[in-house]
Amino acid sequence: MTLSVSGLGAVRSGRTILHPTSLEIASGDRIGLVGASGSGKSTLGHALIDDLRAQGRGVAHVPQSPDEALDPLRSLEFHWNEAELALKAPPDADRRKRLLSALKIAGGDLGKRPWGWSRGMQQRFVIAMALIGSPELIVLDEPTSALDPVIAADTMDLLESHLNGTGTATLLITHDLGLAARRVSRLMVMDEGRVVEAASTQDLLECPRTGAAKSLCAHRSWLAVPC
Amino acid sequence: MLRVESVSVRRGRTMTLEDVSLSLEPGRTLAVVGESGAGKSTLIAAVLGFLRPWRGEISWAGAPVRDCAPSLVMQEPRAAFNPTLTLRRSVMEPVAARRPPPLDRMERLCRGLELTHDLLDRRPLEVSIGQAQRLGLLRALIAAPPLVLFDEPLSALDAFTQKRTARLIADLQAEEGFAALIVTHDLGYACAYADDIAVLRSGRIEELTRPKDFIASPRTAYGRKLRDAAVALGAFERAA
Ligand SMILES: Nc1ncnc2c1ncn2[C@@H]1O[C@H](COP(=O)(O)OP(=O)(O)OP(=O)(O)O)[C@@H](O)[C@H]1O
Ligand SMILES: [Mg+2]
Repeated sequence: MTLSVSGLGAVRSGRTILHPTSLEIASGDRIGLVGASGSGKSTLGHALIDDLRAQGRGVAHVPQSPDEALDPLRSLEFHWNEAELALKAPPDADRRKRLLSALKIAGGDLGKRPWGWSRGMQQRFVIAMALIGSPELIVLDEPTSALDPVIAADTMDLLESHLNGTGTATLLITHDLGLAARRVSRLMVMDEGRVVEAASTQDLLECPRTGAAKSLCAHRSWLAVPC
Repeated sequence: MLRVESVSVRRGRTMTLEDVSLSLEPGRTLAVVGESGAGKSTLIAAVLGFLRPWRGEISWAGAPVRDCAPSLVMQEPRAAFNPTLTLRRSVMEPVAARRPPPLDRMERLCRGLELTHDLLDRRPLEVSIGQAQRLGLLRALIAAPPLVLFDEPLSALDAFTQKRTARLIADLQAEEGFAALIVTHDLGYACAYADDIAVLRSGRIEELTRPKDFIASPRTAYGRKLRDAAVALGAFERAA
């Protein structure tokens, strides 16, 4: 079933950081949200999640910083149990083991607090928690920012194979156009609190129309060092 | 010059660094790449003297590294700041004792990092994570230190800002000659800016080579895997 929101917005300290935005996300969609640093991607992600949850829809969130999802005073085990409870998913040790080993963090000690794990491990733990239930949408905010390329690619593959055919849609917020190019079918570009361009991934990469999209496309490669 | 000689670090029963040796001259850049948990952050902590090596020596110009007042760009952008202080206070802390404060340098860095004054008057939770990362760079560079350790310094920036920021760091380095040790997952960045690349795996340096040679022909199986994954993620793709 299609998820739809309209009139999302955000104002902080008197500044509008997200202008009125409407979105439709169909079941199983793979959407990418890109844009310059500070353009409002995380803000849109948060607003979207709040609105959909208020509508009673099932949405999972992998925030940009694991800190946002993990309480420093609680063990990782506690977080997992809480997540199962929140999703009304009966405790299932097998599922936990499967998800953690698929993400290659089964070796981590769940009795530890988050800071006892590396940031890359924490990031994968949060991704694993998002996969416990079967949400209608997962918002992934820079999910690979703390991962090395081998693990980043594996993690994205795992997400895809886990979600394939389930109907769960994903919104991938990323600064990495190279990553988005391979993982999503539609791209939205943000600039100064607005979605300024939306198109199929291929069209957007081949002929970006707005300045924001052109700048992202033109600076993809480290080989063509600018300035 | 930074010298790390046959350093091993033990945490409990596990060896998190094993017989690591490297050196870094002023004005040069060494990129350390490798899997999550390979010991990259441990290496930084050891260089800064937060962890005492079990074996081996670490020094800067023959003295303890801390004597040269090195700076660190932390991996978690917001963790670098006190949540209750304005970002301006935190950023200026390394030069708080200087009279007069280096305002010209501050201006220049802010311009290069695209940080507005309005941003500096906010607190850490009131800026985006990419903005917090650039503020961390500002704080690390404000005092013109001779050695800077960067832990994933561009990980939260968009493609264009990454490139501008990398250029700014390199320009400053060319003028001031600081030594840069950069831990990064971004092989594209490492290959574009580093003089040498060290591949760290399970606490050991598996290869230490020039970027060009690493892209062309990694010497170890893990090096190849890393390069191929970076290619698959689009790190070396040419602009359309
Ligand atoms: N509490 C606040 N007060 C004022 N401005 C804020 C506040 N919180 C966020 N902002 C501003 O809103 C804008 C959008 O922030 P947001 O975190 O959504 O950006 P982003 O696109 O996710 O950036 P990044 O890629 O750096 O994570 C930024 O300019 C940020 O400084
Ligand atoms: Mg963000």
